[in-house]
Amino acid sequence: MTEPVIEPDIMRISWGPQHPMSGQTRILLDVDGEKVHRIIADLGFTHRGIEKILENRTFLQGIIPMERMVMADTPNIGLGYVAAIEEALGIEVPERAHWIRSLLCEMARINSHLYAFGLQAESTGYFPAVFLWTTVDRAVILDLFEELTGARWSLNFFLPGGVHADLPEGFEEKVIEGAQYMRRRFANYWVAMVENATFEMRCNDVAVLKPEDAIRLGATGPVLRGSGVAMDVRKDEPYAAYGDLDFEVITESACDSMARTKVRFREIGQSLNMMEQIANEIPGGPIKTRAPLFARAKAGEVLSRVETGRGELGVHMFTDGGMNPYRVKINSPSLRNMYVFERLAELDEILVADIPVVINSIDPWYLDSDR
Amino acid sequence: MSKPPEETFVEALKSAHPDVESAEVLRHKRASVVVKREAFIEVARSLRDDFGFTHPVSGGAIDYPKENRMQMMYYLMNPESRFTLIYRVDLPRDDLTLPTLTQVWKAMSFHEREAHEMFGIEFEGHPNMIPLLLPPDWRGGHPLRKDFKGEGVEE
Repeated sequence: MTEPVIEPDIMRISWGPQHPMSGQTRILLDVDGEKVHRIIADLGFTHRGIEKILENRTFLQGIIPMERMVMADTPNIGLGYVAAIEEALGIEVPERAHWIRSLLCEMARINSHLYAFGLQAESTGYFPAVFLWTTVDRAVILDLFEELTGARWSLNFFLPGGVHADLPEGFEEKVIEGAQYMRRRFANYWVAMVENATFEMRCNDVAVLKPEDAIRLGATGPVLRGSGVAMDVRKDEPYAAYGDLDFEVITESACDSMARTKVRFREIGQSLNMMEQIANEIPGGPIKTRAPLFARAKAGEVLSRVETGRGELGVHMFTDGGMNPYRVKINSPSLRNMYVFERLAELDEILVADIPVVINSIDPWYLDSDR
Repeated sequence: MSKPPEETFVEALKSAHPDVESAEVLRHKRASVVVKREAFIEVARSLRDDFGFTHPVSGGAIDYPKENRMQMMYYLMNPESRFTLIYRVDLPRDDLTLPTLTQVWKAMSFHEREAHEMFGIEFEGHPNMIPLLLPPDWRGGHPLRKDFKGEGVEE
């Protein structure tokens, strides 16, 4: 990156990409004493050209590179692409497949939010234990993934027209058991993290993002809902089985780093409810319709939207009658939230020591923002 | 039943700006508007101030070498009626300049930087036009163009 000019009496700190709390990105902090004067994000360390790769893959092959965007959240990301393919090719999906998809998506949302808590706890500097707890507890989710799909991280389980396999015998009971275990654990997390005095001190009133700023700057996901704006693709345009599932859009009115963390906590509660509801009420029937493996889509465009753990993912696919998409534009949630992060220093007073807390309350996934 | 908001919007936009090239509903909750470059900023301001598209989502381009044009697309959201608008402008491939939309929605900054490096579109008046994703010493041209050969291959 060509670095912007440094203003007089300002010191520039280069933070990352090797810093333990920065992730695979570099952030330039222009500081005036302890106060952050300006944040400049230097993205692109994990740019892999996924949009270009997708142009050179058939529709079916493209699901695999697409899911590599967010490893903690592969079902949600994969569903965005698969839904676009289905709309482009005009493939119907059976009801039961929709429910299995929602089940996996909610389990992945829990996994993704668990990772966010772990990092948030690390960044407050007081709880190395919480990161280990989340790492152990997510194994419950990953074991369920493994039993159903054979993979623990990159599932590649959705295909145009449905899902690869039906639920194994007794899987519903295991889902309910897992959800109950998670609920007990989250009661502990809530006391250890959110209601802990040190955590409150580090997160309360840090990096306030007012609702009008969140809308104006294009925030999405828990960042937007943490500013009190109830926007969620699952409610606005119900896809998969979300039209039949009972859940509410979680918002918090405090607009600070704590509010964004609390939104994730309470969303997990909603996801656990949905897991149980799906296990109890999943309809029977086929799990896929026959879809051609190497289909040609007629010329046109589709824009599919899904709510991932980090916010709204848009997949805008153009087709020209060939076996590959002509162009795929991915509207990544993390890129939008990284822009909000850059602007935060102008909206509120942020200290250098708060930066890890702030960035983990935003929870960007750099492979998602870089694509 | 009342009309879906995207249909009401398309009709209202056509009567407010008769010079837009096309305004249509793509499907439920998706609308598309194509404008000429001359009216680009004016219509964008009107979308934000009169039609409530205060929530910028994203932006990107698509290359049509056979038709000798590129299209710049901006994705916008109305937080009230919750439908997505794709706001487009066509550019001839030999004159890829566009006034920057950061003067209307600041958050389009990242997306215009990306379109600049990936497609070579010049955004006039952009406050900070530096590469977003590509390395500073990149010499491979514009990767998302259809005639891109590969890194290090000179034109």
